[in-house]
Amino acid sequence: MSTVSGAYGKGGTPDTTTRPTKSAVRNVQEQMAAWKNVDYTLIPIFSILIGGVTVFLIALTVGDWDYWADWRDRRWWPLVTPFSLIIPAAIFNYFFWKRFRLPIGATAMILGYMFGVWVSRYMNFHIFANFPMNFVSPSTFIGMGLLLDCTLALSRSFFLTGLVGAFLFAIVLYPLNWVTMAPFHVPVEYNGFLVTVADLMGYQYIRTAMPEYVRIIERSTLRTFGEAVTPLTAFFAGFVTLLNYYLWVWIGSILTQNRWLTRLI
Amino acid sequence: MKTMKHIRYGSWGALALAMLLTLVGPFYSPAAEAHGERAQQASLRMRTMHWFDTEIQPRKVAVNETVHVTGRFMPSQWWPEHIRSVEESAFMNIGVPGPAFLRIDSRVNGVPMIRSTRFHLGKTYEYDVLLKARAPGRYHIHPVISVEGAGPIIGPAFWVEVTGDQKDFKHTITTMTGNVINPETYAMSTILWWNALWFVIGIAWLAWWFRKLPVIMPRYIKVEELGDDANQLITIPDMIVSALFFGFVMLVIAGGYFWANYQYPITSVLQTGKVEVEPLPQPPQMVEVEVNKATYRIPGRSFQVEMTVTNRSPRPVQVGEFNAANIRFINNKLLNVKAQEKDDLVAATGLRVDNPPIQPGETRTITIYADDALWETYRLTSLINEPDGRFAALLMFFDDQGTRYMQEIGGPMIPSFG
Repeated sequence: MSTVSGAYGKGGTPDTTTRPTKSAVRNVQEQMAAWKNVDYTLIPIFSILIGGVTVFLIALTVGDWDYWADWRDRRWWPLVTPFSLIIPAAIFNYFFWKRFRLPIGATAMILGYMFGVWVSRYMNFHIFANFPMNFVSPSTFIGMGLLLDCTLALSRSFFLTGLVGAFLFAIVLYPLNWVTMAPFHVPVEYNGFLVTVADLMGYQYIRTAMPEYVRIIERSTLRTFGEAVTPLTAFFAGFVTLLNYYLWVWIGSILTQNRWLTRLI
Repeated sequence: MKTMKHIRYGSWGALALAMLLTLVGPFYSPAAEAHGERAQQASLRMRTMHWFDTEIQPRKVAVNETVHVTGRFMPSQWWPEHIRSVEESAFMNIGVPGPAFLRIDSRVNGVPMIRSTRFHLGKTYEYDVLLKARAPGRYHIHPVISVEGAGPIIGPAFWVEVTGDQKDFKHTITTMTGNVINPETYAMSTILWWNALWFVIGIAWLAWWFRKLPVIMPRYIKVEELGDDANQLITIPDMIVSALFFGFVMLVIAGGYFWANYQYPITSVLQTGKVEVEPLPQPPQMVEVEVNKATYRIPGRSFQVEMTVTNRSPRPVQVGEFNAANIRFINNKLLNVKAQEKDDLVAATGLRVDNPPIQPGETRTITIYADDALWETYRLTSLINEPDGRFAALLMFFDDQGTRYMQEIGGPMIPSFG
């Protein structure tokens, strides 16, 4: 009978002081089957959990900027969204890397989030509240998570991941979503006003609790470079997202320590 | 023993009742009867906006047919100084449950109201909102003025029944590029394929790392074993795949961006800003009113206003209507106004005026009595419990030819408990 080397501690030596002397598994095949069951159980739970947590986080911090096509302006939406989304991305980025050397934290989190938010928008906004799905469909962030994870895999450094990955995480938000946003930015003349398709849909599909002035749409100041609002916002968002990444990797390093688990158990 | 048995039966009974309520409860859903207008403080409802001449027609339409919401409003000169003013920023809104209707057009004094605006206190405005029925049902439609920083001011409402099927709803928008689009489904296929593509790429990335199970436990153990050398778990193929994914993701983002620019070469940014609306021309003030004393007699639900009235019009005038917080108290000796439906806030005999008409050039002190249970049902009696219990209302005088003269009145209100 083959033994299970390394299963119980360093060097494969069973730790008889804290572990049972008899294992529930008797051979490598059974051990592998048990570990596969861990994968089958934990991966969906993690996806649902971290996706659900992120749905709440984004609802509370980004909210309307992502709910409606007529809220995605050129300054606030591309600034607030990556700044907020990098929080769980950094924590799970750290957790999966530090504990498993898996550069999947950001992508897994965003995939879970995207699944949850699509269910939420479809059920709550489209089926229940009766808004057209195109007007309330969520932005996509999967590409941002992939860039962060790929940078970590390539650099194997949180410092470089922040510098390159987190910076790109924020910068690509607008071009990544332009495919689905551009149709809604086509101009329309409405009663002598220039509006976009998104503006007009926001006006026509009545939201009693959302008068026009509630939308926070950037309008520039005399200190703003006339046509460079979006690229400048992207670079600024990249810079603050980079700093926020380092902050939440550090917080993640505290939150994911084994001692919290051992204290609970 | 017997008591124990009773307790056990009682428990089972309670459980059965709870289950019954749980099962049946969701099927009992009475129609929402209001939009919370009663919840607002009485003095704020009285001192913010006077709505009048409200009309919603027709009251029964099919999907795709239109409904006009028309009327007038006057922002009160007694506007509470502690809340943001309608003179700063406001929006002509409509109160319906979600997009059951589409707002095709809305105008105040003829000015399109797609944007926010501001209204002047004491001035009169005329609105016309055109709605297109989208979803069948029965809806209580209110005109609403939303005031930035203050909240919504809800006008009188009427029920509108929409028949038909939402599947038959048709609506188009013509863009400045000449395309006629259906906003119900516009760009939905692009949204779906773009999101599906990213889901596939994201799942492919995870699939690479989980291509050979088990992953979590063996890697966890290895990382624990290797400590600072755990980076060796990232193999050369892992690095190559990561580099490929990195490049591919950048390529797809750039490709998508350029594709969208190619497909939609003419775009604009989201539009916002304010429009200016001039108030309706103010007619010369033919009737002057000065409030001497206002009393609310609690046991009789009677609001009494003693006032000095000067008639500068060429004909005798009489008080015909007292309009406060959307409730119309009617002097039935002068006007025949009936509630059009159950929720129409008309007290058809609610205004008592015990004095003869005021003659041209005459100044006289009169008292009017606005008495009706609507004071109670619409929670206006709570005026006596508010920190600033001042009132405001619109008083409507009529001459013998039916010409209407409006005058806003307001001031402190004294409760009477006897």
